[in-house]
Amino acid sequence: MTDGQEQSSIKESLVVVVVDDDESVRESLPDLLKEFGFTVLAFSSADEFLASESLDRTTCLVLDMVMPGMSGLDLQAELRNRGRKIPIIFITAQKDESIRKRVLDQGAVDVLLKPFSDTALRKALSKAMGED
Amino acid sequence: MPAQSESSAEEVRHLRRCISDLVSVLALSATWTGGRPSQIIGNSFDALVSMLSLDFIYARLKNSSAAPFSEMVRVGSGWKSKPLAEEFGKKLQPWLEGDPQKSPAVATNFFGMPRMTLVLLQLGLQAEIGVIVAGSQRSDFPQQTEKLVLNIAANQAAIGLQESSLLSAQIRVSSDLGERVAQRAAELAATNEELRKEIAERKSVEGKLLDTHEKLAQSEERWRLVFENSAVGVALADFDARLLAANPIFQKMVGYTEEELRLRSFLDITVEEDRDLNRMLIKELMEGKREQFQIEKRYWRKDGSVLWARNSVSIVVGTERSPGFLLTLSEDVTERRSAEEALDETRSELAHIARVTTLSTLTAAIAHEINQPLSGIVTNASTCLRMLDGNPPNLEGARETARRTIRDGNRASEVTSRLRALFSKTNATFELFDLNDATKEVIALSVSELQRNRVVLQPELAVDLPLILGDRVQIQQVILNLLKNGWDAMSCVEDRPRGIVVKTERDESGGARLSVKDSGVGIDPETQKKLFEAFHTTKRDGMGIGLSVSRSIVERHQGRLWAIRNEGHGATFLFSIPASTNT
Repeated sequence: MTDGQEQSSIKESLVVVVVDDDESVRESLPDLLKEFGFTVLAFSSADEFLASESLDRTTCLVLDMVMPGMSGLDLQAELRNRGRKIPIIFITAQKDESIRKRVLDQGAVDVLLKPFSDTALRKALSKAMGED
Repeated sequence: MPAQSESSAEEVRHLRRCISDLVSVLALSATWTGGRPSQIIGNSFDALVSMLSLDFIYARLKNSSAAPFSEMVRVGSGWKSKPLAEEFGKKLQPWLEGDPQKSPAVATNFFGMPRMTLVLLQLGLQAEIGVIVAGSQRSDFPQQTEKLVLNIAANQAAIGLQESSLLSAQIRVSSDLGERVAQRAAELAATNEELRKEIAERKSVEGKLLDTHEKLAQSEERWRLVFENSAVGVALADFDARLLAANPIFQKMVGYTEEELRLRSFLDITVEEDRDLNRMLIKELMEGKREQFQIEKRYWRKDGSVLWARNSVSIVVGTERSPGFLLTLSEDVTERRSAEEALDETRSELAHIARVTTLSTLTAAIAHEINQPLSGIVTNASTCLRMLDGNPPNLEGARETARRTIRDGNRASEVTSRLRALFSKTNATFELFDLNDATKEVIALSVSELQRNRVVLQPELAVDLPLILGDRVQIQQVILNLLKNGWDAMSCVEDRPRGIVVKTERDESGGARLSVKDSGVGIDPETQKKLFEAFHTTKRDGMGIGLSVSRSIVERHQGRLWAIRNEGHGATFLFSIPASTNT
């Protein structure tokens, strides 16, 4: 119980940001991440996220690949340009090996194909937090 | 011996005169040529009377004509009155009928002259031409030289008379001939006149036709110029495809002269693979199944290279005056064809890529649409489980996520029905239409594709076809699909004509039936079962959607689509649509 609370409090200080244009993802994924014990912020676009004050607090980014306006790839490039080394987990409904390879080369932690299991997400998050 | 020399001199003068007389007599004959007997005798008598100082010279000539003889006389200068030739004849009668060997003879009291020496001369060896009597009162008549001159003159005259007689006979013959010729000529002239009249009559008729003839001639000239100067090849062949004539362009296209072409048939210079189709089309022309046809085919040029030609061939039926022939207008499309062939590979590659790209784009879109709600379902369900597993379980959270799971499930189901709506045209417009018209439009649209594939399409459209109620465009898609299926099935057929028969007919239940019969690879029994399943294909670049979509369209029209194997090559695809009950 104590361990759990400690663990929980540590994790609560870790902010996972979800950026996805799909409402159902913004609705469901944060609940799951909260179940994992993280603090979660959700945005419907990359611009919205960049405009927010949350950038500095972000421990890990769960980013949709294809979005209207700035895409997940564009945001990845923008963050690198700004010198921000935030671990990114890409989520996408489309399987595309060439894009997958490209974003991984650019430093992404993982690319998860929707629909993904909770364990696959958990594993990717662990990797992003440097727990593995 | 002056006397002797004098007489010798006299002798010489005498002989000289005789020679001169003889020369004159001989020269006389030159003037007789073509002359009449009277002229011959008259001329020589005139000369003899003066040369020999005769008192008279008489001739009795036997005539071949009715009169027993003709008489003629010339007298010297000593006569007071000259008796007629007949009177001389009577007086000379005893000597004329006597022995000519008794010449010279002497007649006394000859027309009051006491003594007249007569010399008788025969004309002809047996006196068959006549007799001449020369008379003189001189005592020394006839001297040797005078006899000689008279004999020679008589001989000359005989020859002259003979020639004259022959000539007159010839003239008679020729005049006979001339007469007959003249008669015949007259007859001919009469006939000629009749002909002239007839011709004149005909001409007056022809005169009326002259304008027409001139126009025809002009037209003929015009066509000849078209033939000679046409920008396309023009060739005429008989019904065995033997070449009759070719214009300069055609000769240039194939590289043979007209003379060389006359020794060949069209099929001889056609590339082997294209011959059967060509032969079949010509046969159909001859059988009256078609009036003309278009074909894109290859010729062997004289230099061994290949010429692609686009030919329009029509049949010109023979008349009484001219035999029928095949008229070919030929256009060199080698450049276009080789460009097309080069493009073909690229095109089929591109088509495949385009299809694959379209498909992957489509797949991606479908995947995205479905995976989004699926993702929500999985995430919510996972969250729900975690909330239930909690200590204490978060029941409120679990209920909420379970509700979202159901909601996302419904959303996924909406996506699939949206996709179905997208792929099947639900707003089909049903109308009454004629299947024949719809078919003709599809055939017209497919002409270039059929030609590119060297496929001959033969429509056999029924006249008593009922109208059908349906979506005209969708049915046309089905027809096009079946046609495309047909020519695709024949794409590797090289050993026989690539033919498609499109037939419409009234079926047993009064509906409209359309069949597409090809001579392609056919269907094996194994394939036949799966033929109409979606995504089943035997084609390299096929999607396997055509036939299943076609069947679903036909079934939506309460119809039926099926396939049968032909007895020979290929397959036949058929569909039937019930007749509209509104009609």
